[in-house]
Amino acid sequence: MDEYTLPLPLITTLSKVFWDGCRENKLLYQHCKDCGRVIFFPKHLCPDCMGHNLEWLESQGKGRIDTFTVTYEGAPPAFMGVTPYCVAIIRMDEGYRMMSNIVECDFDELECEMPVEVAFVPVTEEITLPKFRPARG
Amino acid sequence: MESIRGKTAIVGIGEVPTGIYPERSFVEQAVAVSEAAILDAGIGKDEIDTVIPILAVANPIDNANMVCSWMVEEMGLGKTCKANFVCGSGGSSSANSLKTAMGLILTGLSKAVLVVHSDRLGTGLDMGAAIAQFAVVSMSQEYEIPYGFSQLALAGFLQQRYMYDTGTTERQIASVVETLRKWAALNPNALLRELRTAEEVLASKMISSPVRKRMMNKLADGASAFIVTSAERARELTDRPAYVLGVGSRCTNFTATEGQGDFYQNWTPAADDAYAMAGIGPADIDVAELYDAFPTFILISMELVGLCGKGEAGKFFEEGHAAPGGKLPVTTNGGMMAQGHTGAGGGVAVLVEAARQVMGKAGERQVPDVKYALDTASGGIGMDFHVGILGNEV
Repeated sequence: MDEYTLPLPLITTLSKVFWDGCRENKLLYQHCKDCGRVIFFPKHLCPDCMGHNLEWLESQGKGRIDTFTVTYEGAPPAFMGVTPYCVAIIRMDEGYRMMSNIVECDFDELECEMPVEVAFVPVTEEITLPKFRPARG
Repeated sequence: MESIRGKTAIVGIGEVPTGIYPERSFVEQAVAVSEAAILDAGIGKDEIDTVIPILAVANPIDNANMVCSWMVEEMGLGKTCKANFVCGSGGSSSANSLKTAMGLILTGLSKAVLVVHSDRLGTGLDMGAAIAQFAVVSMSQEYEIPYGFSQLALAGFLQQRYMYDTGTTERQIASVVETLRKWAALNPNALLRELRTAEEVLASKMISSPVRKRMMNKLADGASAFIVTSAERARELTDRPAYVLGVGSRCTNFTATEGQGDFYQNWTPAADDAYAMAGIGPADIDVAELYDAFPTFILISMELVGLCGKGEAGKFFEEGHAAPGGKLPVTTNGGMMAQGHTGAGGGVAVLVEAARQVMGKAGERQVPDVKYALDTASGGIGMDFHVGILGNEV
């Protein structure tokens, strides 16, 4: 693939689990086995009960657009060459929120509460970004 | 616990014009506003025993030097000052430094506190660097930055969802800019003093939908300062101090992804705490100095602190009620969208403006008979929610 020039995620011992999952087209999130809290972004301890008994679960990859914006100008420097692009907050069916890009979509058709599904986009050998597209069914 | 209502007061304020001033150095600004605040208070500088500089954005060296008591030396406070330390919580540094000053004074650890902010976002860093700065701060490097998120995108997020939830029109949002320009036209320290109609705002190009170019704030150089002391000392210094009647806050999150849930609702309990301490309600407020950054921030917070009904803030602005002569003047310095965005100074500027209105020193834009002024501040990407109430009598 062409050389990818946009910022890549910071890989830590914690985020590596998530990004390794994405490379295998699995969208992971955490679940606290002590209190049942659904956790994302991944944390070192449960933000409700401070428990360390966290497990990784696989999301079905479906949710709704909570809100979004299509950036035409004023993008971060690295993204100036890829405008316009859509950034969105997605409310996942499992009960957490994540940020991503909406792709494979006419930007004029975007709206809040639109159902979307994950579309894995490999950008380097190591990193596959979980993006979202309008749900197909 | 005994109430702290009205036990402290802002007795002096200082500000330099906000704008593009390449020849005006960081410390020149800081000294000018500190001097102005001391002279405005009529206090001897040897009474200032604590200095709280507020974190700057433009230059990390200036910032580090403020940590290291630069202002104590420049203002010649070294014989009497007991402490200098920086307060940094982004746009809410104003509220947190005021609370810190109150605590020091109420416990007797300090007699008078100088809070000072200076920043050169207009000329102290180039535009590319400015955009880069606001593209990485207060964001998750693991889960947000790879998608091209920015503070501008945050403004798009908020406006998009707010319009969806409330049916507020784009024109109503544009009327916030129109209103702030009307205030800025009356503010000699404002950068953007020419009037701008809602139609002109709507005609400007889309930047990050639904935010248009003329809905954006303007980065600028600026500085402001204020002095806090006890109510007893305030009464000796002036017959019209700005008493701190109430403060309330909530601090909720780091990232926008977390905050985009219902965290903005926290404006309400923050305001409720401030009203309860002050012993008044939203109907008593004469002027509201609401922290802006972008038009929707004002609309969301205005509703949640109880100054108008849910979904009604846009209409309130469009009908002119927040403008000069309106029934509830809002952000009378013009805010970051018209006075100019000086980093954390945007929050200091509205707090200073609230004190200025209470002290009756707002010149052409003075709101008549101000008894109570409400001010707000928020840091990061909406990480915290601060509400303060100043009044001219206890």
